[in-house]
Amino acid sequence: MSSRRSRSRQSSSSRITDEQINDLVSKLQALLPEAGIRSNERVSAASVLQDTCNYIRSLHQEANDLSERLSELLATTDASSAQAAIIRSLLM
Amino acid sequence: MAISNSEGDSAAKERERKRKRSAEVGPSPSKWRTVSERTLYSSKLLEALRRVRGTAPADPPRSRAVREAADRVLAVAARGRTRWSRAILSSRALKLKPRKRRPAGPARSKKPLAGAAEMKRSPVLQRKARVLGRLVPGCRKLSFPTILEEASDYIPALEMQVRVMSALAAMLSSSGAGAPLSDRLGSSQPF
Repeated sequence: MSSRRSRSRQSSSSRITDEQINDLVSKLQALLPEAGIRSNERVSAASVLQDTCNYIRSLHQEANDLSERLSELLATTDASSAQAAIIRSLLM
Repeated sequence: MAISNSEGDSAAKERERKRKRSAEVGPSPSKWRTVSERTLYSSKLLEALRRVRGTAPADPPRSRAVREAADRVLAVAARGRTRWSRAILSSRALKLKPRKRRPAGPARSKKPLAGAAEMKRSPVLQRKARVLGRLVPGCRKLSFPTILEEASDYIPALEMQVRVMSALAAMLSSSGAGAPLSDRLGSSQPF
């Protein structure tokens, strides 16, 4: 299993144990928005993955909405006052 | 910054860490949550947005340009340690990169492996992992555990991106209205 050919996807996962998978899944679960509420439950890996997908999609959506808003604001805002304001806030 | 799972030094974890040496897993999630990271991202994003504003003033998909700039600056902030960030940066460079067909046949991802986790072979999990792999940049063809690792870093990075973009939008909209800025900015809470 040390040849380069098989390194691309499978060789690094051939020694992955259940414990490591569980560890990764629980780390992911801890990042999700309801982690505090559900931390003591045994949640299935499938629902963690599902929630992760949903959460990433909602973050993408937020980012897109913010991008639209920012592009409008950039068009209408006076550049120098905006820059001054933001620089001031970063230095605070 | 201490890595989060330093307790429990089992041999398996040692092996995992040695494999991770090759930059498979980058910074811990908490790195994205520091004030310094947010501040750095804010200023870099602002520079990038000023460029977007300058080069494409009447561009209809300017919101697309803003999103791409935000993603690119986020990917740079990752300092090359994660696949998703490298994928973002390389796909920007090659905008017309064609989608390659699956190289060695679809059966590879479902081949049962000696010693592989039982969980991985469940078709439900495989399917959900594939969906997740499509959501995280550059993770379409990666193994199940790698996708989980990449997602674990991508999520806090995205959260920081959204947080900073919201703050910037709030600041720009308040400065446009001419409100007293120092009060407003001083009271804005990093959430």
